[in-house]
Amino acid sequence: MLVEFELIRRARDGDDAAYSQVVQAYRKRILGTIGRLIGRPEDVEDVGQEVFLRLYFSLDQLRSPEVFEPWLYRLTVNAAYDYLRRQRRRNESRMADLSEQQVVLADAAASSKRDAEEQRRKRVRELLDTLMSSISEQDRILLTLKEIEGLSLKELEKAYGVNENALKVRLFRARQRVLKVFEASTEAATGAVRSK
Amino acid sequence: MPSQDQRPDALDERLQALFSAYREACPDPEPSPGFMPQLWQKIDANRSYTYSLKRLAQGIITAAAAAALLMGVYLANPQPRPSPSYLELLAASQTHNDLADTEIVQASHDNPR
Repeated sequence: MLVEFELIRRARDGDDAAYSQVVQAYRKRILGTIGRLIGRPEDVEDVGQEVFLRLYFSLDQLRSPEVFEPWLYRLTVNAAYDYLRRQRRRNESRMADLSEQQVVLADAAASSKRDAEEQRRKRVRELLDTLMSSISEQDRILLTLKEIEGLSLKELEKAYGVNENALKVRLFRARQRVLKVFEASTEAATGAVRSK
Repeated sequence: MPSQDQRPDALDERLQALFSAYREACPDPEPSPGFMPQLWQKIDANRSYTYSLKRLAQGIITAAAAAALLMGVYLANPQPRPSPSYLELLAASQTHNDLADTEIVQASHDNPR
């Protein structure tokens, strides 16, 4: 926990100053999670504010401060889902964004100032984004929370309200699917190197 | 087959390493200075909307309760009717003579014995 239970209790009881402190403690982590879930840095703050807005109006339903973090992750996942669903509906804007992304990528490729570390990070991001695109949105979010955000099965169980075994099965299947695509891409890369 | 040698463990480890590398490659962003003011603006806007909606709902409930109460009071104390109904007026205006045209009345007049 990043804050004391007492602070969450005060925020739940309507203390706005306490709520501000809670947001300040969690906003960076939540923005990072949202960024990794939606993959669009320009919209991260909007989705983040949506999460904290929902939190503000639902905090009075929180049973105990002990379940605050899973509760917050649940709101984060829901807001990310909603965002991704809206994005899917906006076909025309997605096309526009795609071309914008292409421009950004072209700019990035043309830039000779970019250092090697940033290039490596970019390759890692692109590779994992490609692998994760082979599974459903729900599985991608679940796998991201488990493997990248580092949430435990217990925390996921609380956040999703689903039993641990069901989560294990779903995670296993998602991981197997990602591994399959990873294997295929590794083989393709090895084959390309050999043929040279 | 090289892939079978690679698969369960080596590939899994590589995937795990890729997850960790991805976490490092996508660090948590610093929130912009406008994050908190914008959030509070949204909260206030939402709060005032919710508040006015609540006020409106309360107003409607109060008005409905008052109307029900008034109706109850009115029905519990029936007032004497200020004016007779149409049927009462009609009945009152029908004197014996007015019925003279009808055969029933005529017949009773013709045979008094």
